[in-house]
Amino acid sequence: MTNSVRLESGGSVIVPIRKPLTDELGRTLLRDVGEMISRGNREIRIDLAGLEELDSPGCAWLIRAVRAGKAAGAEVKLVGAAGRPAELLELMRPNFEPLPPPSPRPGFLERMGDRGLTVWEEFRQALGLVVDALYWSFIAPLEGKGVRWKGLLDEIQAMGSSAIGIVCLINFLLGLVIAMLSAAQLRLFGMEILVASGVVIGFARELAAVMTGIVVSARTGAAVTAELATMKVSEEIDALKGMGLSVSRFLVAPKILAILVSMPILTILGFLSGVAGGFALGIFSLGFTFERWWWQTHQAVSMGDISQGLVKSVFFALIIVLVGCHNGLRVRGGASEVGKATTRAVVMDIFLIIVADMVFATIFYYTT
Amino acid sequence: MKSPIIKVRDLKAGYGETVILEEITFDIHPGEILVVVGGSGCGKSTLLRHLVGLQPPLSGSISYWGRDITRMEEDELGRLLHRVGLSFQGGALFNSMTVGENVALPLEEYGIGDREQRRILARMKLNLVGLGDQGRRYPEELSGGMKKRVGFARAIAADPEVVFFDEPSAGLDPVIGAGLDQVILELRRLMDLTMVVVTHELYSIRTVADRILMLDGGKIIFIGTLEEAESSDHPRVRQFFLRQPDRGIGNRE
Ligand SMILES: Nc1ncnc2c1ncn2[C@@H]1O[C@H](COP(=O)(O)OP(=O)(O)OP(=O)(O)O)[C@@H](O)[C@H]1O
Ligand SMILES: [Mg+2]
Repeated sequence: MTNSVRLESGGSVIVPIRKPLTDELGRTLLRDVGEMISRGNREIRIDLAGLEELDSPGCAWLIRAVRAGKAAGAEVKLVGAAGRPAELLELMRPNFEPLPPPSPRPGFLERMGDRGLTVWEEFRQALGLVVDALYWSFIAPLEGKGVRWKGLLDEIQAMGSSAIGIVCLINFLLGLVIAMLSAAQLRLFGMEILVASGVVIGFARELAAVMTGIVVSARTGAAVTAELATMKVSEEIDALKGMGLSVSRFLVAPKILAILVSMPILTILGFLSGVAGGFALGIFSLGFTFERWWWQTHQAVSMGDISQGLVKSVFFALIIVLVGCHNGLRVRGGASEVGKATTRAVVMDIFLIIVADMVFATIFYYTT
Repeated sequence: MKSPIIKVRDLKAGYGETVILEEITFDIHPGEILVVVGGSGCGKSTLLRHLVGLQPPLSGSISYWGRDITRMEEDELGRLLHRVGLSFQGGALFNSMTVGENVALPLEEYGIGDREQRRILARMKLNLVGLGDQGRRYPEELSGGMKKRVGFARAIAADPEVVFFDEPSAGLDPVIGAGLDQVILELRRLMDLTMVVVTHELYSIRTVADRILMLDGGKIIFIGTLEEAESSDHPRVRQFFLRQPDRGIGNRE
């Protein structure tokens, strides 16, 4: 028991322990040792002669008592242990040394400097990836270094064909919504037929490409990042590199080619679906004939409008795959990093798509 | 001799249609170190996975302290597994936590001690495997062998009564490997741990094994002490312990 404290000459105290060192007893021991030190005792001996068994939690309490003593400038000694407890204490001896303090946090300027460096470092990585990937996608095939056709077809299937349904549905619904919003306004002037022009122009130049880009970045962009990040974490990427193979050639180039095929097609399908949404409202709700609505749609749009959308979709496609690969390949660590990289990639995709869209809008605004 | 902790009866194990192990019957006694040996791919890891209930057997029973775990509800099995430790072949550390947090995780989840107590306990176990100063690092910063030792420390963190080690010393240098063997012996001596160890290292087997269980062709072909193994006349057992090479790996049957 720790409350039967025996005082010895010279101000040292002996605390005998006779019962198994449970958590409860450990807590009491630690508190008593603290009190004795605060009363000015400089040497406390914990007498373990009566202790028959000692387990790791018990050992941890003794370690804490010794360390508490050291921290307060007193000396706590363990004496009298015999048999298995003594051997366990001997085995655990290195733990009686306190841990070194954690390294100090870097100051504000250093942190900002580090941050700047990481941003720069990431930019360089991304640039390297873009150059490498574009080389392996476009120049290497011309030089006769083969494309991996099997991989390419699988990618087109995953990125393109299986996205058709969702892309069409979303664009159709958006077409319907835009038609309804503009019909409500144009009704005031009795010019509901202009809804047809508005929808087709909007989708040709802008909406089909952006909506498709966002759907594809959520589907494909996320998938690309997750795939590459998982491969990175499980050392598959290192295995490729270790075999002297190019990651850009094996993993990135097929994806770039596949999305360059898929995105424009998806965008055209999205465009048609959006226009179909407008048709649905015009014919079934506003009461126009098919021919009237078709004529209005047809004369409003030109090939130039449609190619604006297609040009954008090509750039969005490159953004999605490159951002996806970049984020996947820079992952270090484990499973949770894969999740973070995926989130980061999708956010970056959508942000860059909108920025690119704005750049295009500005260019087209001043040139046409 | 005290009654066995674990009784395996007529266990048949496999993945889906493929049967990997059958007619597996043996006991594990308190305080013993049972070493499981056998060729690569013969089902040692599969046996361990079944013994800790990670995978339901195709048939047969496994009982701990007289209770059959193959019929147990999940939460009951969970509570029982608090008394069991397992270290995986590859370490299986959580990469998002530091080494210290990895080792302290079972303590925290089982509600053992306060924060400081858990920190000390985790460091005690890390010190046992020679990594006392690595607690603040992340698993990705460690070598393969270090990860494996952390996995070992995590398996014994909560002072389990039975521990399963899947190849604790494979891939370690001989000095550290022998050190782990000493830790295994100390744990048994000081804490009465019961251990099942999968290993290929003859040196380890000689140091730690009380009994040896040898798997081959999906069955137990030998179970007994080292002396019995060395005097066995089963060709496979002789081959293993006398290190006679196989003519071409894979020409098994
Ligand atoms: N998830 C799985 N699905 C199907 N078969 C599996 C699975 N995991 C393992 N196997 C098969 O089970 C057999 C035994 O595998 P196990 O991992 O138990 O071998 P092992 O004895 O531990 O080998 P090693 O010494 O190489 O670790 C192997 O033939 C393997 O192909
Ligand atoms: Mg194995």
